[in-house]
Amino acid sequence: MKKELLVAILKRISTSLIVIFLLITFIFILLRLAPGDPTQKFLSPQLSPQLASRVAESFNLDKPVLSQYFSFVKNLFTGDFGYSYNYRQPVLSVIKDYFLFTLLFSTISFFIQLIISYNLVKISFRKTGGTIDKSLSKLSLILFATPSFVLGLILVYIFSVQLDLLPTSGLKSIFHDDFSFTGKIWDYVLHLILPLITLSLAGIAVFYSYLRDSVEEIFNKSFIVNLKAGGYSDREIFVKHILPNAARPLISVAGIEFGILLSGALITEVIFSLPGMGRLTVNAIFNRDFPLVIGCSFIAGVMMILSNLIADLIKIKIDKRLLKDLLQ
Amino acid sequence: MLQVMRIVKIFFSSILFLYLFISCNVEKADLTQKVVIGISADLETINPIYSFSVDEGVIDETLFLSLVQFEWNDKIGDVDAKPMLATSWEWAPDSSYVIFNLRDDVFWSDGKKFSADDVIYTFDIYSDPKVQSRFYGSFKNLYTDYDNHIDLKKSFEVLSPLKIKINFIPNSVPSLLDVVFPIIPKHVFENIKRENITTSEINFKPVTNGAYKLKKWDRNQMVVLKADRKSFLYQQGMIDVIIFKIVPDYNSRLVQLQKDEIDFCELVKPIDIKDLKKSKNLIIESVKGREYDYIGLNNIDMKSYSDNKVIKKNNLFGSTKVRQALAYAINRNEILTDYLNNYGELAITPISSIFKLYFDDTLEPIEYSPDLARKILKDDGWKDIDNDGILEKNNLKFTFTLYIPSGNPLREFAGTIIKNNLKAVGVDMNLEKLELGAFLDNLYNKKMDAWMASWYIQVPLELKIFWYSDLQNTPLNFVSYQNKEADKIMDAFSKRLTQEEKINNYKKFQNIILNEPPVIFLYWTDDIVVHNKKIKNLKVDPFGALQKLWEWRIEY
Repeated sequence: MKKELLVAILKRISTSLIVIFLLITFIFILLRLAPGDPTQKFLSPQLSPQLASRVAESFNLDKPVLSQYFSFVKNLFTGDFGYSYNYRQPVLSVIKDYFLFTLLFSTISFFIQLIISYNLVKISFRKTGGTIDKSLSKLSLILFATPSFVLGLILVYIFSVQLDLLPTSGLKSIFHDDFSFTGKIWDYVLHLILPLITLSLAGIAVFYSYLRDSVEEIFNKSFIVNLKAGGYSDREIFVKHILPNAARPLISVAGIEFGILLSGALITEVIFSLPGMGRLTVNAIFNRDFPLVIGCSFIAGVMMILSNLIADLIKIKIDKRLLKDLLQ
Repeated sequence: MLQVMRIVKIFFSSILFLYLFISCNVEKADLTQKVVIGISADLETINPIYSFSVDEGVIDETLFLSLVQFEWNDKIGDVDAKPMLATSWEWAPDSSYVIFNLRDDVFWSDGKKFSADDVIYTFDIYSDPKVQSRFYGSFKNLYTDYDNHIDLKKSFEVLSPLKIKINFIPNSVPSLLDVVFPIIPKHVFENIKRENITTSEINFKPVTNGAYKLKKWDRNQMVVLKADRKSFLYQQGMIDVIIFKIVPDYNSRLVQLQKDEIDFCELVKPIDIKDLKKSKNLIIESVKGREYDYIGLNNIDMKSYSDNKVIKKNNLFGSTKVRQALAYAINRNEILTDYLNNYGELAITPISSIFKLYFDDTLEPIEYSPDLARKILKDDGWKDIDNDGILEKNNLKFTFTLYIPSGNPLREFAGTIIKNNLKAVGVDMNLEKLELGAFLDNLYNKKMDAWMASWYIQVPLELKIFWYSDLQNTPLNFVSYQNKEADKIMDAFSKRLTQEEKINNYKKFQNIILNEPPVIFLYWTDDIVVHNKKIKNLKVDPFGALQKLWEWRIEY
C-alpha cells in the first residue's frame, strides 16, 4: 500500500512538473505576444529615449523571443526566475514576503470556511426542511451571489465607519511599533477580522451547499436505513457513515478552493490594502513585469497542484479504493 | 424555534463580547506629531537614481537634497531658485560656467560630512550608462563622451571641498535646471559595483541628507519618515513622523480621510467633494494648470510614413479645417460642468494660464458651435451625399474610432458626450477602451488615428519635445504635427533670449497653435487635494501640495 501510494505521488509530481513547465512556457509566450513594453511603462518627456533602449538591453528584451525563451529556460533549471523589473530584486525574494502573508491569510480563511460550513450543515441537517435549513439554503445563495467588493464595502461601512469597531484597511496600524507584544498581536487580529469575513463568506456558502447536498444524498441511500434499523444512533450514523461519504465531493472542491486562495485574493487584498499574491500578480501584469508575472504564475500553479494532491491523499485516506484511480 | 433563539443569542453575545474586548484592548498611541499621507500604490524604490513616480519624487525630495530648491513664484508664474545644499552661486558672464558655494553644515544620515566630491560623483553616476539612471541622457549642456557619460575632468573643478565649478559646452544655453539633481553619498555608492546598483540593498536602506530619514518601509503597507534632528533644515515644531500609507482602493482612502485615519489625499474626484465638504475636519484645495486632456488626431498618414517615410496628410485629420471643425463641435463646457464640477478650465493651447508672463490672455477658447462646425466641414468638402447622417468626401465616410485608456471614468463620460456631439454634425465616432499598457504601446508606435489622453506639463515650460516637426527625434509628438513657423520659435528657445523676446515668442506660439491646432485641447483638470485641518503651512501651487514637507506644522 505504502509503495503504491509513493508511486502514485511520484507519478503525480512528475506529471505536475510537466504541467507547470507548459504553464509558464505558455505565459512566457503570451506575455511576449501581448501589447505593451516594460521599458515604456511611463509616458514621460523627462525620460531620455536612450534610456529605454539601455533598459531593454539589460532586460534582454532586445534579443529575439526564441533566444529570450532559451535563456529563460536555462535559468529556470537553476531556480533563477530573474530579477523583477520594478522591484529590482530577485523574483523569488519579492514573492516570498507576499506569499507568506497569503499562505497565512488563506489557510485561516480556508479553515474558517470548512469549520463553519460543517457546523452549519450539522445544524440544518438536524432539522431538515425546517426554518433554519430553509433560511441557511437561501442565505448561502445570497452570500454566494454577493460580489466580495460589495460585501467588503458593506462590512467596512458597518464595522468601521458606523460602529468604529474595526480598522478600515491595512495589515497593521500605523502605530503598530509603539504597541506591546500582545498589543501587536491584537492589532493584527483586529485588522484581519473584516478581510477574513469578506474572503470566507462566499467560500462558506459554497462548502455549505456542497456538503448539505451530499449529506442529503447519502442520507437517502438504503444502507443508512439499514443502519437505522440496526439501532445505530443518529450521531454515529452521521459522523461515521454519512460524513465520510458526503465529504468526498467537498474535498475535491476544497482542494481547488484552497489552491485559488493561495494564488491570492485580489478583491479582498485591494479593498483592505493587504500585501498578498493577488495584488502582486495583477500589478506585475499591469507593469509588464514579465519575470514577476511568470514567478507568480509558477507559485500559483504549484499551489494549485499541491492542494489538489493533498485533497486526493485525504480522499484516499477516507476511501482506499480511490488509490487505483490516482495510480491510473 | 428554540434553536433559532439560541443561535440569535449566541450571535448577539459574540458581538457584545467582541465589542467589549476590542474597546478594552485597543492601545492608544501619540497622534500629535504624526501626519499620514494616503497614497494609492507602493513605491518601487527610494533611490533617486531610479525613482520616477510622483510619490517617489516627493519622498526623494524629502530625503535627498539638491544644490538649489525650486519654488513657484505666483506673481510671475514661473520658478525661483532658492539655496539648498548650495548657499550661493555665481554664473560666468557668458554662462560658460557656474560656481557653487556649498553649505558647511550638511551631514549624511550615517554621520559622514557632505562635500563637493558627492556632487561630482552624483553626476558621474547619473550619466553612467551602466547604472541606467532615470537621468541618463539629460546632460546635453555638459561635456559628455560618445555614450552620454559626463567627462568629469572637463565638466567639474573642485575649487575647495565646499566650492565647485561646473563648466558647460561652448554655445550652449545652460540653466540651473541642468545641474539640479538630488545628490547621493559617494562614500556609500562607491562600494557598490555600478552594474549592481540597480539591485543593491541601498535601494531600500538609503543614506540621506534631507530633513527626514527613512525609518521603515513595510512593503505595500507604509513608508515611514522620521525627522532628522541633525539636519540643517530641522526646526522646532517640525512634524516628527510622516507616514505614507498605501491604500490602493480610492473609496477606502476617502473613508479613512473622513475618519482621520489619514490626513492627506490627492487626486480626489470632483463627484466626491460634496460629501467631503460635510466633514468639518477637512480642507479642500486644488492644484491648477498642470494637466490637460486632449483628443489626439493623427495629422499624417502613418502607413505611408512607416512604410515609405513619405509624409502624406491623414485622410480624415490632415486638414486643419477638420481639426478646427471638430473642436467647435465638442461641448467641452458640458464635461467641465457636469463631470469636473468646474474643477478645471477650458484649454486653448498647451500653455497653461499659470505661466502668467507667457500666457496670452487675449486668446479666447473655442466656443461650442455645431453650426460653425458644420459650415467649416462643408467648406472643406464634406457632404452627406447618401443622406445616412454621416458626411462623405471623395468616397470616404467620416467615421473613426476614438481610443481611451480603460479605467478612467472622466474619459468614458467625455467620450460619450463627444460621440453624441460629433454625431450631431455628421461625424460617426466609435469609442473603444484599451488597457493602459496596450494604449501606450499603440501611442508610441502611432497605431491609432484618434485617442483621448492627457499631458502633465513640465515646469518650466517645454514645448519642443511635443510639437517639433522632426518626427525622428521627437517621439512624443504623437500626432506628427509639423509647422515651420512653430519650429522656428521652438528653436529660438534654445538660444539666449531676453525676457521680452521669450514672452513674445511664447505668445506667437500660442497664436500659431490656436490657428492651426495639432490636437483638440479639451480642458485643464485640477488635482483636488483634501487634507486635515491640523496640517498648517501646507503650500498648494503648481508644484503640487506635497512639497517641502519639513515646513509643515501641526496645530489643533
